[in-house]
Amino acid sequence: MKKLIIYFSILSCCFISCKKIIEVDTNNAEAQIVIEGKITDKLADQQILITKTVGYSDQNVFPKVSGAVVMVTDDKGSKYTFTEKSPGVYTQAMRGIPGNTYYLNVNVDGKVYTASSKMPNNVKLDSIGVTLNSFFGNERKIAAAYLVDPANETNYYHFNLYVNNLFSKRIYVSNDRLTNGNKLRTQLYYEENDDDDKGLKTGDKISIEMECIDSNIFDYWYALSQQSGRGPNQGTTPANPTSNISNNALGYFSAHTFQKLNATVP
Amino acid sequence: MPIKYYFPLFLLLFFFTSVSAQNKYTLSGTIRDAGTGETLIGATVKISGSTGAGTLTNAYGYFALTQAEGSYTVTISYTGYVSISKTINLIKDIKLNEELRTANDLAEVTVSANNRKNENVKSAQMGLERVDMKSLNSIPVLLGEKDILKTIQLLPGVKSGGEGNTGFYVRGGAADQNLIILDEAVVYNSSHLLGFFSTFNADAIKDVSLYKGGMPAQYGGRLSSVLDVKMDDGNNKEFKFQGGIGLIASRLKAEGPIVKDKGSFMVSFRRTYIDLFLRASPDSSINGSTLNFYDINAKANYKINDKNTIYISGYFGKDNIGVKDLFENNWGNVTTTIRLNHIFSDRLFSNTSLIYNNYNYTVRLLNDVTNFKATSLVRDFNFKEDFQYFSNKHTLRFGLNATHHRISPIDITTSQESQVNSLTQEKRYGLETAAYVSDEWAVTDKLNFLYGVRLAAFSLLGPGSFSQYNTAGNIVSTENVARGKFYKNYFNLEPRFSVSYLFNEENSVKASYNRNTQNIHILTNATSSSPTDQYVLSSNNIKPEIADQIALGYFKNLDENNYEFSGEVYYKWLQNQIDYKNAAQLLANSNVESELLYGSGRAYGLELFFKKKFGKLNGWVGYTLSRTERKFAELNNGNYFPARQDRTHDISVVGIYNLNKRWTFSSSFIYSTGNAVTFPAGKYVINNQTAYYYTERNAGRMPYNMRLDLSATLEGKNTGRFQSSWNFGVYNALARKNPYSIEFINDPKDPSRTVAEQTSLFGLIPSVTWNFKF
Repeated sequence: MKKLIIYFSILSCCFISCKKIIEVDTNNAEAQIVIEGKITDKLADQQILITKTVGYSDQNVFPKVSGAVVMVTDDKGSKYTFTEKSPGVYTQAMRGIPGNTYYLNVNVDGKVYTASSKMPNNVKLDSIGVTLNSFFGNERKIAAAYLVDPANETNYYHFNLYVNNLFSKRIYVSNDRLTNGNKLRTQLYYEENDDDDKGLKTGDKISIEMECIDSNIFDYWYALSQQSGRGPNQGTTPANPTSNISNNALGYFSAHTFQKLNATVP
Repeated sequence: MPIKYYFPLFLLLFFFTSVSAQNKYTLSGTIRDAGTGETLIGATVKISGSTGAGTLTNAYGYFALTQAEGSYTVTISYTGYVSISKTINLIKDIKLNEELRTANDLAEVTVSANNRKNENVKSAQMGLERVDMKSLNSIPVLLGEKDILKTIQLLPGVKSGGEGNTGFYVRGGAADQNLIILDEAVVYNSSHLLGFFSTFNADAIKDVSLYKGGMPAQYGGRLSSVLDVKMDDGNNKEFKFQGGIGLIASRLKAEGPIVKDKGSFMVSFRRTYIDLFLRASPDSSINGSTLNFYDINAKANYKINDKNTIYISGYFGKDNIGVKDLFENNWGNVTTTIRLNHIFSDRLFSNTSLIYNNYNYTVRLLNDVTNFKATSLVRDFNFKEDFQYFSNKHTLRFGLNATHHRISPIDITTSQESQVNSLTQEKRYGLETAAYVSDEWAVTDKLNFLYGVRLAAFSLLGPGSFSQYNTAGNIVSTENVARGKFYKNYFNLEPRFSVSYLFNEENSVKASYNRNTQNIHILTNATSSSPTDQYVLSSNNIKPEIADQIALGYFKNLDENNYEFSGEVYYKWLQNQIDYKNAAQLLANSNVESELLYGSGRAYGLELFFKKKFGKLNGWVGYTLSRTERKFAELNNGNYFPARQDRTHDISVVGIYNLNKRWTFSSSFIYSTGNAVTFPAGKYVINNQTAYYYTERNAGRMPYNMRLDLSATLEGKNTGRFQSSWNFGVYNALARKNPYSIEFINDPKDPSRTVAEQTSLFGLIPSVTWNFKF
């Protein structure tokens, strides 16, 4: 809607909608613990990342948290101890099983953070491709994922898009509230940088990762997506997405299925 | 329940009449404009002599005054009109229907000091602003479209939603807490083109009153203000046409007698044609886009006899926005009002109204696989019975009101190949009933009361299934309720009280207290409102919103009422306010009530207003110092936080200069503190991207807003019946880049740093409009 308003304001008269860099007055908060944990259904080194926040005006260099004790258990009695592979990166080779609930326990300097996530059933990513859309007069190629949503359960999806190995900064998250049981074509608009999205070019290599996530993680991504790309005064009032990790840690712990497909833009 | 209250009261009044009327007689009548036959609202009728009694005409131009037998001089006056005086011998009840001539000559208005009323000082009513439709014509506005909503936002206590935003905020209220009525019908969405224009075509409007506080008991249903807009009745003497051609919109109005002096009609039409410019674009997608709105106001009235007059009025408006092959969105209001004025006796005036109104929108996505059409509707049937009883020192007002609401939250229909499923969200039905009584009592020459009470009942009706939720938002229980069953009832007693004390004819103090409740709420977690915002009724989960407001004011007029000054302070408590959980999904969600948070609020402020009413140079200066806060257990650690529209300072200056008979210049200037917004206090990395960390809610500030608008009107040479004028305008003459939104991005010069990027909408915008009348 915002785009539309700006579009209208450009069109309707000889005036200009314009952007400029301004100074804002905000305090730098104290460093907070950020945990990003993923357990997938592929046998691989599963990763738990622990970092800290920096102040708003600081450089984008995020301190790694070393020396944490990281443990994952499941509701079948298995126990996995993660080891620190590089600063702040804790790994353990294992494979998650859909239907199992995984519990995270992180101890950082005596402070304990816990979380749980139930790995949903996998929904097959059938194929990926490119669709043609006309967007405000421009033909645009857009990456798309094809799948069939199962009718008998509530499904939540999270996608990652890479174009020529560059990670797209948009958050792609969806549920089947309005599309339950249907053949789905999910379009993933590529965002090269913060400003504009020019679409894909012939010969671009695209890869799409699809994760079937649980409802808490959907809420997490959805809350984050509502804020990204829109600042204060538009969109929802920004707030930290509700984390499934205890003790006011930022981030999330997600047990999800994982699939990845590659394609070349025709 | 209300009926019980109402009939004894009614009988009592007749009884009261018969005993107190001895040796006293009633002077009553209707005051009209001599040129058009339009009734004049709020004209002063004053009786000379020791009592100095006086009254104002009501919304239908009717007045009644009761005095002891005797001979009096009656003076009837109205701003901008030539006063008339008549000697009457009150030895029986007398009818006095008079017509006032407009003062064409500026000087005529300026010198007649008795024409200047001190009603602002004298009346017990507080927090009332009446928009003068004449000065409205010269106040500069965006693209030359004169606009009552933009004009009231120049008054103290009223804050604009900002450029590109619908809605206005009154004394700390939210945008959905304003009762906006057009000929008594509720207008749910008062904006066109996403807030750039209002639904009120000034050509068709006769009178605009805004109550910021001290709402009289006949109004109810919203917390923070009442905007009562009345349409023109139409000229009952001769056929007249007027219109205007502007850069983006044109208007045409026709009016005339149905039967001379007995009935008249008025039809007014307005349409924008921005899409004609779009069509000129060589780009095939742009020239296939739509962007327009139109609206029609129509009204007719007929005086059946001396005791009965019938009015029928309606409004129809529609906005269309669309981008070829992508989407279409249209929305609009429909209102219809049928009214019967009946004069039971000289002193008892009644109005019966039957009202229909709806607000609906449609969104269509045209993409091949995600195509769908979503529609939504709010529909009301409303019955009102209002009585006014004029006694010697009292004007009583009492009545009944019943509104049936139907809300169809969303209806999604899709094609075969669409991957979106069809869905119909359950309709909701509600019944709002109210009974009220109020009394305007001139205790002495110096002391006036306006007090009353409104009993407001709300019932959520079946059919429907109603769920209870736990704090996690999961359903605890669901109850299926049959058609016509009253599922949940709320009763609220709303006291309304205002008092004024006059030190002398030019100085007074006033105080007021009032309680308002609200049972229909907009759900939107976006910080700006949109045509697709959803309405919900009070329910088992949503309690009626309640506001209590106290206000205190000092009013002073100077130079024989040429200058008006007022200072008001207010404090408002808000209960059962609504906010949203993180990641709330409000659209097409049948469990939307599980996504809500409930809290409280408070607002307080000081409003100063200085106005010069007459003379070559007139205008006003308004200043508001205010604070608006909300409190929710689940947000901001349960502490008070500023509401988005909390702006500490708000200044508006309006100046109109009548250079000569042909040229009028005007300007308006606004300054306001920026909106309260949430800025990040830190940042972190999630999924390879920078995410922002927030601490306090709405603790940051957008940059301030400042704008100067200019306008000049050139009246054409008087060539008999045909009159025309040119209006030239400049919006944002200082070309200041006012903030619309801020985004946080990586610094283009140093990507390891974060900077704030502000988007502004409008630079300097010139406009020209040609208006005509014949």
